[in-house]
Amino acid sequence: MSAKALELRGVVKHFPLRSLMSYGKSVHAMDDVSFTLESGGSLALVGESGSGKTTTASVIARLYERDSGELIVDGEPAKPFRNRSESLAYKRKVQLIFQDPFGCLNPTHRIRSILERPFLIHGLADGASDLEAKLRGILEQVGLTPAEDFLDRFPHELSGGQRQRINIARTFAAGPSIVLADEPTSMLDVSIRMGVMNMMLDLKERNGVSYLYITHDLAGARYMCTTIAVMYAGMIMEIGSTEDVIGQALHPYVKLLKSASPAPESGLTRTRLEAKGEIPSLIAPPVGCRFHPRCPHVRPECREAVPELRDVGGGRKVRCILV
Amino acid sequence: MILDFFKTLVSNRKSFIGLCILGFFVLVALFAPLIAPYPPKVDRIETVEKLGEPSIEEETVSEEQPSDSRDVVTYRTVTREDYRKTTDYFPLRAKPSRHHWLGTNHAGNDLLSQLVWGTRVSLSIGLLTGLFVTLLSLTLALLSGYLGGLVDDVVSFFTNIMLVMPGLPLMIVIAAYITMKGVLPIVLILGLTGWPYPTRLLRSQVLTLKNRDFVRASQSLGERTSFVVFREILPNMVSIAMAEFFATSMAAILGEATLEFIGLGNVTVVSWGTILFWAQANGALLGGAWWWFLPPGICIALIGTSFVLINFAIDEISNPRLRKR
Amino acid sequence: MAETALEVKNLSAGYATVKGFVRAVDDVSFTLTKGEFMGIAGESGCGKSTLAYAIMRILRDRARIESGSIWFKGKDFASLPLEDVEPHRWTDMAMVFQSAMNALNPVLSIGEQLTDAVHAHRQVTKAEAEGMAVAMLELVDINADRLRSYPHQLSGGMRQRVMIAMALILHPDLLIMDEPTTALDVVVQRSILEKIEELQTKLGFSVIFITHDLSLLVEISDALAIMYAGKIVECGPARELFSSPSHPYTQGLMDSFPSLTGPMVRIEGIKGKAPDLLSPPPGCRFAPRCPKVSPACLEAPGPGLVPSGSRRSCACVLVGGDR
Repeated sequence: MSAKALELRGVVKHFPLRSLMSYGKSVHAMDDVSFTLESGGSLALVGESGSGKTTTASVIARLYERDSGELIVDGEPAKPFRNRSESLAYKRKVQLIFQDPFGCLNPTHRIRSILERPFLIHGLADGASDLEAKLRGILEQVGLTPAEDFLDRFPHELSGGQRQRINIARTFAAGPSIVLADEPTSMLDVSIRMGVMNMMLDLKERNGVSYLYITHDLAGARYMCTTIAVMYAGMIMEIGSTEDVIGQALHPYVKLLKSASPAPESGLTRTRLEAKGEIPSLIAPPVGCRFHPRCPHVRPECREAVPELRDVGGGRKVRCILV
Repeated sequence: MILDFFKTLVSNRKSFIGLCILGFFVLVALFAPLIAPYPPKVDRIETVEKLGEPSIEEETVSEEQPSDSRDVVTYRTVTREDYRKTTDYFPLRAKPSRHHWLGTNHAGNDLLSQLVWGTRVSLSIGLLTGLFVTLLSLTLALLSGYLGGLVDDVVSFFTNIMLVMPGLPLMIVIAAYITMKGVLPIVLILGLTGWPYPTRLLRSQVLTLKNRDFVRASQSLGERTSFVVFREILPNMVSIAMAEFFATSMAAILGEATLEFIGLGNVTVVSWGTILFWAQANGALLGGAWWWFLPPGICIALIGTSFVLINFAIDEISNPRLRKR
Repeated sequence: MAETALEVKNLSAGYATVKGFVRAVDDVSFTLTKGEFMGIAGESGCGKSTLAYAIMRILRDRARIESGSIWFKGKDFASLPLEDVEPHRWTDMAMVFQSAMNALNPVLSIGEQLTDAVHAHRQVTKAEAEGMAVAMLELVDINADRLRSYPHQLSGGMRQRVMIAMALILHPDLLIMDEPTTALDVVVQRSILEKIEELQTKLGFSVIFITHDLSLLVEISDALAIMYAGKIVECGPARELFSSPSHPYTQGLMDSFPSLTGPMVRIEGIKGKAPDLLSPPPGCRFAPRCPKVSPACLEAPGPGLVPSGSRRSCACVLVGGDR
């Protein structure tokens, strides 16, 4: 087992548009995406909608194949699957938690049937009684006990928080080593979120997994993860430890994100936002630095070339010529 | 799930009325032998009575004595029985009377019996066509919707072409080539012209479901494609598939009547459509023999009405946005 | 003494279902002073949207006001017949809805929708209405040349600003906003809130802002009301409620937001889920989830909202009359 659970280097993913009007155009969902997730670590991938973070998760989960760049999982570069057993082995290692607790469970299946699948697909249970024990085990790990209360229900009989726990139980059932969580609490009620987030932290401790935690919420990222990567318009803008990046943001976009995020504990007078404008379309992203149309410190050089994601020491990387 | 479907149909008042009308006809079809006074193609009543008791006569044909200890007698028994057969022919083209509540047609068949027995044929053709079309369109929709790519392009191409072709002329052409007997040709004609629309509908449903998170979750867990299609997607299509089945069956009943009326189907089979065909062929409409063409016409109209009424509930199923909260 | 803009007294409203009447708003009372920004916070199903719709008298289908009064402009809006309510709508009281894409007509340009709003309530010429529309668009930082744009041609943030312009075009005294920024990214959200603050200073209207995001509300509101299961459980100045919440539910809610800048500690949120409003618990509705529950809490009819400080009130047996 290598020290790095997951490594991306310069990954690119574009989705070509198919209609006649947009011939030749594509959605630049990911451009030069690079970051590292340490074994047993947690990395928050933070970005607003249209930043490309969900595509990144899909590419890592191999739901789509990247166009170019390297994807290294547990020290091994990812290669096209030659057969089903290779694909299964990968899926056992890398699992994805979906966002919507109402849509991620098939409404026509009972919970038992939903939770059995990962065990059956990967052949992890020998016999019915072993399967039953494993089902109970996983339900207990996500705090849904007694198991009898849940196994024979349908998803619509459970609350949003319970459904998300089932979703997470399903993800952990096959024993993955890397878990990609795509905004797992954003569709839950506020008071329920902490319960689910704490449970995820406990599961991480218990099972020794590495997390890639995708969110738009900086405070949530800080709570859950030790390292953070901020994405904007398909590119990574800043990487570092959460304390450093949030405490002392270097990239102008990260500063903007921080000043816009609610922080009632820091006193209730806020400075006005510096940048104007909105997130660019990924079909025709701005030339050069993608943030330059909104940046309060923009210089002519920013329009010409895309800045490199440079190492600035202390584990920090920033994509800005001003830093 | 199937139960939920029927619950939806029953809870809507309009569709409940439609269901009652349909239910009435289904009962008529099921109990046809008990309800109809005569079999459909019968044009006479034959009564045979025995006259008196049989008389037996015995006569000796020959006697022989081939040896001292052997006698051979050949004799014959003749039994005579007298029968009287009375044949009452039904009147031809008769007006309604005590014996024939709806009168008779050109061949002397009782029209009420034809109507009752014809219900069986009309409904079963409709149901068979519905079944055929639903299975075909479901298969095509699942394949093309889920697999996408070339399969989808090819299936969609054919579906679109068939959709654009005018139905009736197509039916006429197909009918001209079919030489089979019985009801199967009609089922085929209606089926082969009726599959494109449901296929499109079901395909778009498959596409919607394919993008739902639970399908993605299943794929990312490593589920096989066949499993995803049949265990994840298909169960969520039961309602809409049943709605399609209903709609197609009803349309087929009306379609069959149309085909028979213009003489394209098998006119030896007794169904509402053929009754109308023969009525028209024998000048019933011009001659004002309302008892001939009105009853089957009313039945067809009633079925059509029940279709429209049930459709109110079916629309709610296919388009959840129409559901009242 | 500050002038009262709106006074709600013992308002009850809900909707009829096959299983009975769901009282989504149960005996709710509060007062809004002129020019005040009042936030109403609560999770899904607490009745806050029903409350907003009841005040605007736009409850439909099976929803209706059951009892109570809504004092606005010297009249009881709860008991007025609809024809008498109509003239006040939009001219004195307006609403901004959650999803602009659903609230804006996709086949009309925004200019047409704005002038429609004007013509519906005022007798003005076309030119005058267009002038008002342009002035309003400028106030929300949208260029006048967008008058002929269609909703789908605008970004999410711009559409929401059009909604705000449409609501304010007749200069109402009261603006009710039902989760207007929930579907928007945090930066756009912040810019819209800044805009509303600016407009409030310029035009002097009062705001009722409904959301589930308490951390956001604390920063922008003057006064806060916390709703739970159809009742207001705590009410008072936003800052005080944040620094010293009295009701256990408010305390739990404040403990549901990870901190962005403060010390990193494990927070717990609230366990359990909200009660079914068809048959709520007889006593305090929060009792099943309350960490401080006592036998007195379970007795009917449950605690009422009593004053608990100079401008505060709280509905909890543990919080005395005066502090």
